[in-house]
Amino acid sequence: MNRPEVRLGTPWHFPTPTIVRLGNGLSVWHFHLPGQHVATYEVVLPTQLTYEERDKEGIGNVTLHAIDEGTRTHPDGAIGELLEAQGTTLHGGTRYRYSTFGGQTPSRRLREVLPLFAEVLSEPAYAERDVAHHVEAQIAGYASRLASPAAANRIALREALFEPDHREARPTGGTPETLVNITAADAVQWHADHFSPAGATLVVAGALELDEVLAGISGWQGAPPVADGLRPASPLQAPKVVVVDHPDAVQATLAVGTRTVTRHDARWPALRVAGHAVAGAIASRLNLELRERMGYTYGIRGGFTPGADEGQFTVGGSVRTEVAGDAVARMLEGLALGTPLTEQEAHDARQFLIGIAPLANETSADIVNQGATLAGSGLGPDYLNAHFAQLAGVTAEQATVAFREVIDPAQLTIAVTGAAAELVPELEGLGLEVSLRPAP
Amino acid sequence: MTQADLHFELSQHRLDNGMHVVVAPDHDAPGVAVNIWVEVGSADEVAGRTGFAHLFEHLMFQGSANVASGEHMATVEALGGTVNATTSSDRTNYFETVPRGALDLALWMEADRFESLAITPENFEAQRQVVKEEKRQRYDNQPYGDLLELLVAQHFNPDHPYGHLTIGSMEDLDASSLDDVAGFFRAWYPASNLRLVLCGPVSDDEGLALAAKYFGHLPSAPKPERAPIAAAEVGNPVDTSVSRPVPHSLSYLSWATPPAAHADVPALDLALSVLSDGHASRLHRSLVKRSDVAYEVHGGMLTNRSTDSITTMISRPADGVTLEQVSDAVLDGLARFLDEGPTEEELARAVAQYERDWLWDLATTSGRSDAINEAWLVHGDPHRLNTYLAEVLALTPDDLRAAAAKWLAPEGAHRLLYRAEAPR
Repeated sequence: MNRPEVRLGTPWHFPTPTIVRLGNGLSVWHFHLPGQHVATYEVVLPTQLTYEERDKEGIGNVTLHAIDEGTRTHPDGAIGELLEAQGTTLHGGTRYRYSTFGGQTPSRRLREVLPLFAEVLSEPAYAERDVAHHVEAQIAGYASRLASPAAANRIALREALFEPDHREARPTGGTPETLVNITAADAVQWHADHFSPAGATLVVAGALELDEVLAGISGWQGAPPVADGLRPASPLQAPKVVVVDHPDAVQATLAVGTRTVTRHDARWPALRVAGHAVAGAIASRLNLELRERMGYTYGIRGGFTPGADEGQFTVGGSVRTEVAGDAVARMLEGLALGTPLTEQEAHDARQFLIGIAPLANETSADIVNQGATLAGSGLGPDYLNAHFAQLAGVTAEQATVAFREVIDPAQLTIAVTGAAAELVPELEGLGLEVSLRPAP
Repeated sequence: MTQADLHFELSQHRLDNGMHVVVAPDHDAPGVAVNIWVEVGSADEVAGRTGFAHLFEHLMFQGSANVASGEHMATVEALGGTVNATTSSDRTNYFETVPRGALDLALWMEADRFESLAITPENFEAQRQVVKEEKRQRYDNQPYGDLLELLVAQHFNPDHPYGHLTIGSMEDLDASSLDDVAGFFRAWYPASNLRLVLCGPVSDDEGLALAAKYFGHLPSAPKPERAPIAAAEVGNPVDTSVSRPVPHSLSYLSWATPPAAHADVPALDLALSVLSDGHASRLHRSLVKRSDVAYEVHGGMLTNRSTDSITTMISRPADGVTLEQVSDAVLDGLARFLDEGPTEEELARAVAQYERDWLWDLATTSGRSDAINEAWLVHGDPHRLNTYLAEVLALTPDDLRAAAAKWLAPEGAHRLLYRAEAPR
């Protein structure tokens, strides 16, 4: 039987929300999706972690996690019972430039839930015991991350990419040394300073009408947030090679990365195409080389990720300890892009990045996550469709040129977590100068 | 208003070669999910040849008569689709979601590998190495990486079909020959042992015609049957205590609970939810919020198709509390629950959470097609996808109490105490 032909349909477009600006300063992006049984909603707060005091880093994250333990109207877990009785789960997350707080609820129950959600946003109780519990949970979570080679390696890479005084050099959720200083009073203050509808965006998607959304969220009250402003830059750091010693590790966990331009740069679409072909795809150059040809690894993945002000390029995976040096050498060689990308590689990458969009935006949560990312980065919902149009025009040559301009293998920072006694000589054998971190 | 009765359209067919097909049209979906369950898992492996079911999850992407090694994944990705495979004790799952215009190609590639998989020495050796790295990455190089193995060992002897993990033994993989591997494929991968679910913008007639067009010529061979599997030997509760270089000490209490299709499973699931799911749950309230006994309490169920499942209650003790003390406190809370049963409010919360989780699992064609295969293999009826939620919503507080009392006797709990070597 002959190989069937493929007939791809018309290009897909990110849905257009109805956008409403309320009197309290809240913007609402409403995606009406009648087919979605489960609704998703997320508030994007333009809160930067640079506001955190140095010795209380993690306060933003703790405040977010403790927010739904009780309200003044429904204290001591009562609000949680009401939310759960409507099938609701809430979650929050902090990033360096913004925070998000939202949840998921069966669409048919959302009308009952939004006023409760507004109550949580407006009048959280922050009982001392609850805040202490979340401080403990964050400290425990940090210890768990350090014990996980992949997470420990990410922390080491980030630390190496920024100058030590810069907030982005350190974990968003703080460290045990800073978390331990956080009190309930700090959470109350952080909430008062930053949880305001003024300047925030509510992104909501599901089988619910706009007027029901607006009626539900209108109860959110809050003083204006503290003024925007603190956004210190961190100069690009000299490349480093960091080994985090996990003496008993049975593998080496690798990450190679650098800080890059982001969506504002005209080369961004070309960089995404190149990043996918080199490291993002299952059939990427690096995965084919290190997994399929060499059998060194279960998989190598990576690519460019955008941020509000700047982006990052990272590639990583876990490899056998005794071939870690060779794996790094092959990665660096691949990233030099000595052989230009072929038209076929560029075609496949374009097709994936554009073609995956409808599947990647199938659910209410997909749409809301995407919308929240755009709102948090100061972009509108029309950004994506323009981006897809640009992606479609990227040639192999443009992708190759952009990648070579932005990624210089000699300027990449390398983090490796594993058995240092074996890893350090392997890396030094490549002519790299290694800085060793003791086991956590 | 209730949406407990779901109305996902689906129709069930059987090709002449014995292959089973379900078509679940969803004309608004962005892509078609192609979900194939091969009715073989690690519980079908024989002693000394473990890890074979999972090895095929890898080999199946290494090429066939008309598809080169790696081409299947690369092709689907380049069409803007998603593709992968998973293995459990009970089944091996191959799946992709593709744009409607690429459905023919996806089915053609699937059929090609079931018909003519390239089981070569080179592919076998390369994937044996990749599997070893997978085991290191997912188990050996992770904190708590041996926890699941220790838990399973409390419930099953090593030679029981459910007594080993799906990743298998690397020694077994090293000791096996290409003939062993080819024999496993011949035994378990005929058309009669496959269930294909198509979910997305494809009509029932189209779906069936496509399945027949691409899979209909696969040879007809009798469906292999799983060997009878003995129940786990019911012995006294097992106590296991280990020390490892991990950040936190954990207590795992566990019970042998009935197989996945047993009528008590939904009530047991909700009972676990009332006890330990979320901050409004009983044990979180009594041990974390109202006293300083635990920092975390969670419940979970590892369901098995052909033998007992394993239900767990996990707790992390608060500072100054021993693993023995936190375990006893969990069992005390459980005993009170068995005595009182849940309140109407507790049940309503558990039901509402279940409703959201269930609807969420069905929110994508990929998730729905997998849920259809699960309902089909485990419960024998794909239509159960539409009725299961209503069964859960009809449960009463006494159903939960009775199911928990029957299966979660505090004195019958196995204890796995996983101690951090250097407590903080």
